[in-house]
Amino acid sequence: MPLNITMADYGVGNLHSIRKALELCGATVNIVDDMSLLKDAECIVLPGVGAFDKSVERLLPFRDEIVARLSDGVPCLGICIGMQMMFQGSEEGNGPGLGYLQGKVVRMKAPRIPHMGWNLVRSSDRIMDRMSDPYFYFAHSYHGAPEDYSDVGHTEYYGEIPTLFHKGNTYGTQFHPEKSSNIGLEFLGNFVKFAEENK
Amino acid sequence: MSLTKRIIPCLDVKDGKVVKGIKFVDLKDVGYPPDLAELYEKQGADEIVYLDISASVEGRHTLLDIVQETAKRLFVPLTVGGGIREKDDVRKALNAGADKVSMNTVAVQRPDLITECAQDFGSQCVVVAIDGKRKGGSWTVYTHGGRNDAGLDVVQWARKVEEMGAGEILLTSMDADGTKDGYDIPMTKAVADAVGIPVIASGGCGSAQHILEVLKQTNAEAALAASIFHYKESTVRHVKDYLRENGVEVR
Repeated sequence: MPLNITMADYGVGNLHSIRKALELCGATVNIVDDMSLLKDAECIVLPGVGAFDKSVERLLPFRDEIVARLSDGVPCLGICIGMQMMFQGSEEGNGPGLGYLQGKVVRMKAPRIPHMGWNLVRSSDRIMDRMSDPYFYFAHSYHGAPEDYSDVGHTEYYGEIPTLFHKGNTYGTQFHPEKSSNIGLEFLGNFVKFAEENK
Repeated sequence: MSLTKRIIPCLDVKDGKVVKGIKFVDLKDVGYPPDLAELYEKQGADEIVYLDISASVEGRHTLLDIVQETAKRLFVPLTVGGGIREKDDVRKALNAGADKVSMNTVAVQRPDLITECAQDFGSQCVVVAIDGKRKGGSWTVYTHGGRNDAGLDVVQWARKVEEMGAGEILLTSMDADGTKDGYDIPMTKAVADAVGIPVIASGGCGSAQHILEVLKQTNAEAALAASIFHYKESTVRHVKDYLRENGVEVR
């Protein structure tokens, strides 16, 4: 049985690329706009489109159930804003986040923002195993500042910023694997394999 | 700092075909957008820009089915521009598979749209395209595919769009565009030094050396080029090898 991914559609931005990429990696993808369906998912993907408040407001009514499922070990991948929503809150918005990851999302301190383009992720996490030259695509002005040591990968941009997160069976990326050409597909392939082993 | 400089092939699209002309006129058909986009990704393009160059002039909307077909084949970011007139056009372009949307004429007419789109979709997907032309000691903004003088100073307008929430500036020199004599270094430098958002240099690229010059001599984050790739005078891979040999970090 292929991995069955349930992907949240917050109603902003396109989910074609991430769906297509995950399908290429052997998963089936079910896109839902009814967020209550996330709690029955075999594997959850929170995609990386939109602004913080607009995206998270759709998930907040189900916050407790979603966080309980993540704590139970349902494999989950959050990309960019989808990862940022897992924190307790963000300087970008006014509302709270899901609060699965401890800490806040903060505005970057760099002379040129957004951090836009391809940059290197340094990590010894197993999901990055055997990846040579892991340059990924970034497009963001905020980043997660964890207080639970969930950051397992970092990137240099006017200082070091956390760009890969891992807690339980949840991964979060500040970069966009679905926009990172071959290396991104390799990353998503590794995530699908990880999720299959841990579903 | 290891953020790499980006090389961005540009697809100027008219009636569903990629075209190339000199100073925005005298256009020749050079291919089908999805085919070229896919080829450029394989060569190592960091991003693709898709501009429907007739949409703004003819007052109609972008042909989204070809955008969709292009996006379907890509695993690098796609910026779509041309014919954006309201927030709903941005939404439609994003839904068709664009990662960023570029606005030019409408941003001048209604700067508030920049802010509205940044709030809903995030700054990172709002690109403002600025077409500039030298006028005495400074540069003036043109709209409607380079036909109308907007009466704005390029550097001041660049600062303004940043303030309104744009995430990136696509800066085209109308003097250099199509000449293949190299980018407008002074204008690119002036804008990239004036703003704190990324600037893509555009217009005038005739060789890998021109790309090296603009990336070395200015703070532009990316260089856009069209004809050197379309006419197979060079490939993205070759440009990147050349940049790397000359000390510019690329992917």
